Amino acid sequence: MLDALVRWVDERLPVRAILGLGTNETIPGGARFAYALGSATLFAFALQVVSGCIQLFYYVPTVDHAYDSLMYLRMQIPFGWLLHGLHYWGANAMVVLVGLHTMRVFVWGAYKRPRELTWLIGVALLAGTAAIMFTGAPLPWDERGYWAAEVGSSMVGTTPVIGTSLRRLLRGGEATGQLALSRFFVLHVAILPAALGVGVLLHLLAFRMFGSVGPWRAVQRREEPLWPEQVARDVVVAALLLVLLVGLAAFEPPPITGPADPLDASYVPKPEWNFLFLYKGLQLLPGSLEALGTVGVPLLGLLLLGALPFLDRGPERDPAKRPFAMTGLVLVVGSVAALSVAGLEAPEGAAGESARPREPQASARAQEGAALFATLGCGGCHRADGGALDLSAEGARGRSPEWLAAQIRAPAEHVPGSTMPAHPQLSAAQLEALVAYLESLRSPGAPAPGATAAPPARGAGAPGAREAAGRAAEIVGSAIHGATLYTIQCSPCHGEAGRSDRADARRGNVPPLVPISRVIFSPEPEVFAAQLDRWLQHGAAPAAEHPGIEMPAFGDTDVLTQQQIADIEAYVMSRNGVARGGIVHPGIRPAWFAAIVALLFGGAGLLFVALSRRRVRDSSRGASS
Amino acid sequence: MTELPNPETGRRRFLALVCGTFAGLMGLALGLPIVGAIVGPSFRRARSRWARAAAVAELPIGQPVSLRYTDREKDAYLVETVQRDVWALRHAGGEVTVFSPVCPHLGCRYAWKPAEQQFFCACHRSAFAPDGRVLSGPSPRPLDTLPAEIRDGALLVEWESFVLGVAEKKAI
Repeated sequence: MLDALVRWVDERLPVRAILGLGTNETIPGGARFAYALGSATLFAFALQVVSGCIQLFYYVPTVDHAYDSLMYLRMQIPFGWLLHGLHYWGANAMVVLVGLHTMRVFVWGAYKRPRELTWLIGVALLAGTAAIMFTGAPLPWDERGYWAAEVGSSMVGTTPVIGTSLRRLLRGGEATGQLALSRFFVLHVAILPAALGVGVLLHLLAFRMFGSVGPWRAVQRREEPLWPEQVARDVVVAALLLVLLVGLAAFEPPPITGPADPLDASYVPKPEWNFLFLYKGLQLLPGSLEALGTVGVPLLGLLLLGALPFLDRGPERDPAKRPFAMTGLVLVVGSVAALSVAGLEAPEGAAGESARPREPQASARAQEGAALFATLGCGGCHRADGGALDLSAEGARGRSPEWLAAQIRAPAEHVPGSTMPAHPQLSAAQLEALVAYLESLRSPGAPAPGATAAPPARGAGAPGAREAAGRAAEIVGSAIHGATLYTIQCSPCHGEAGRSDRADARRGNVPPLVPISRVIFSPEPEVFAAQLDRWLQHGAAPAAEHPGIEMPAFGDTDVLTQQQIADIEAYVMSRNGVARGGIVHPGIRPAWFAAIVALLFGGAGLLFVALSRRRVRDSSRGASS
Repeated sequence: MTELPNPETGRRRFLALVCGTFAGLMGLALGLPIVGAIVGPSFRRARSRWARAAAVAELPIGQPVSLRYTDREKDAYLVETVQRDVWALRHAGGEVTVFSPVCPHLGCRYAWKPAEQQFFCACHRSAFAPDGRVLSGPSPRPLDTLPAEIRDGALLVEWESFVLGVAEKKAI
């Protein structure tokens, strides 16, 4: 019955013959695990296509919902964490595999005649892989993705002559906004995958035409058929790769960096590991040569790689007899590795020093300071209300720039007892800008940016019973970045450990945050965030008779962005043992799923090892008898 | 007649088994999550979250009042601000009963008649006591109560919709 069906189909669609095209092939010198790198790359690509397609069921490419939709996928969709994790780590794996595969082909000399075009298509696929990774990174529209898009497209913009036009084309305008996200999205999910798919097909066809190149020395082993000798090795490597990726997705999930927030100056972007060498290289170059590093070196590298079979035309494939090529390989791989390691250790925020504009005008610097004043949240305390902290006429007070700088940098050391938060993270130029701004303030009562004209009127106690949570309550913030913001904004009153030993705190005016009041706490992340959010949005006044301080309304006064509030909430929640980005509907819990996969694959592997040992024993016994 | 096993065929079979097994396992390890992710929330019950409807102290005791408040309705990852109406009755003991404003008969909005001290639905003349019991008319069941909680001096309400026209109160 089944045979009849197979025969019927085969007569009309010769599936067996088509499959045979791929499998009726011999590997000179026998199958090897080293040859599995190409097929492993193909497997990684297929995994990207599949996990990418499933993510499209949930992801929306708009700046206001991309992040929320992705977090919804990760937290609320069964196995959403897995598919996203596989896609994230699979991309990294694919870059590694493409690199290793390229090196393998290089060492074996497999780019030589008649395989020049196979190699050239491969180089195009390598460039395509870099492009698809570059366009994929911004799609979550989180802090990391946003800055990757911003810095990456700025680098394209440093191309001489056509740079500005290229950058505008890539972004769909001057700003890195919705049009830029749409472009990255279409490139990442439609144009580049289709191009890569066609490239892979051509690469495979070309490979099939000329077959495997085999070992460089005269045949060490006899020929073996592709099926099943090489295919079995390919499948084993693919299975190992999948187990590894599942483990990474389960135990090392992609970081939650919070939604994109162009206003947040406290986030320091750093490139992904595979671009670290470029990042470090750029730091070593003087500013005038920047274009050389951003577009010159990558373009030159790609051109050299493509031209390789036409430059190195000798038929010799033995690496020992190709000293020039091998030295080149060691130099390139060595310098990329060295720069990457150095980039890993480079102090954060060192990037872009070379691109800083020359001395700004005094008023421009004061403007920069005004912007900093707003983003740092100075206006939360320094209100233009005529009170002790009113800075609206600070410039007329006659304080020296040194006094002001020292006060901003380390208030407690400068004026003992000062409760103003320290700002060690400010660069010298930022400090100068802030001082310039403060010196320019000479009209009492003029509201400073980010400051409310008058403190919001409120009675003592908690936020009003009907004052609802704000937008931040719905945002999955980043606890890691929240810790930085907490130190700047909250620790002066609440203490670094979430428990202050200030006099106000001892009087009960500053509630402890660790552990937080049971009224606010909830084991459910969304509920906890919503409770907490009301305090951060609307502020609160301690119930004491003469409260010396009150909780600023960070949201109502725009002192913090909603993203920043969400980050702080995530941090405070994490200190209370609740993960803001915790998985609500995992399908199977990550650790369990990874364990099941490891057990199944490991068990099957052990079984096959035992079986093959017995087969070898049996056949040798059979041969001796 | 017994045939001697050909070691070459045996090896091919063995390797094919290795390929098949691992391919099957990979299909399983990926297939189950993919199906799970696509089914996703298709069969999940829609639930709203607690919303603040009023300060309890503002509610009169023993007299139902209509409360209009702002709720945040979640459609997957989209959050929309919507206005809701509910009826709330604060009891002498301090606890509050909250009724859905939807008549359980066919979904009309009913009103409170202070003179008769009863809820009355003008569509089909169903009348309900202050505690929600059916006094007269075609309504198959009492008024639907909504989950309510008092926290921190505020009345929290969880919005729900129910199947209409049946005797049993069943959330949609």
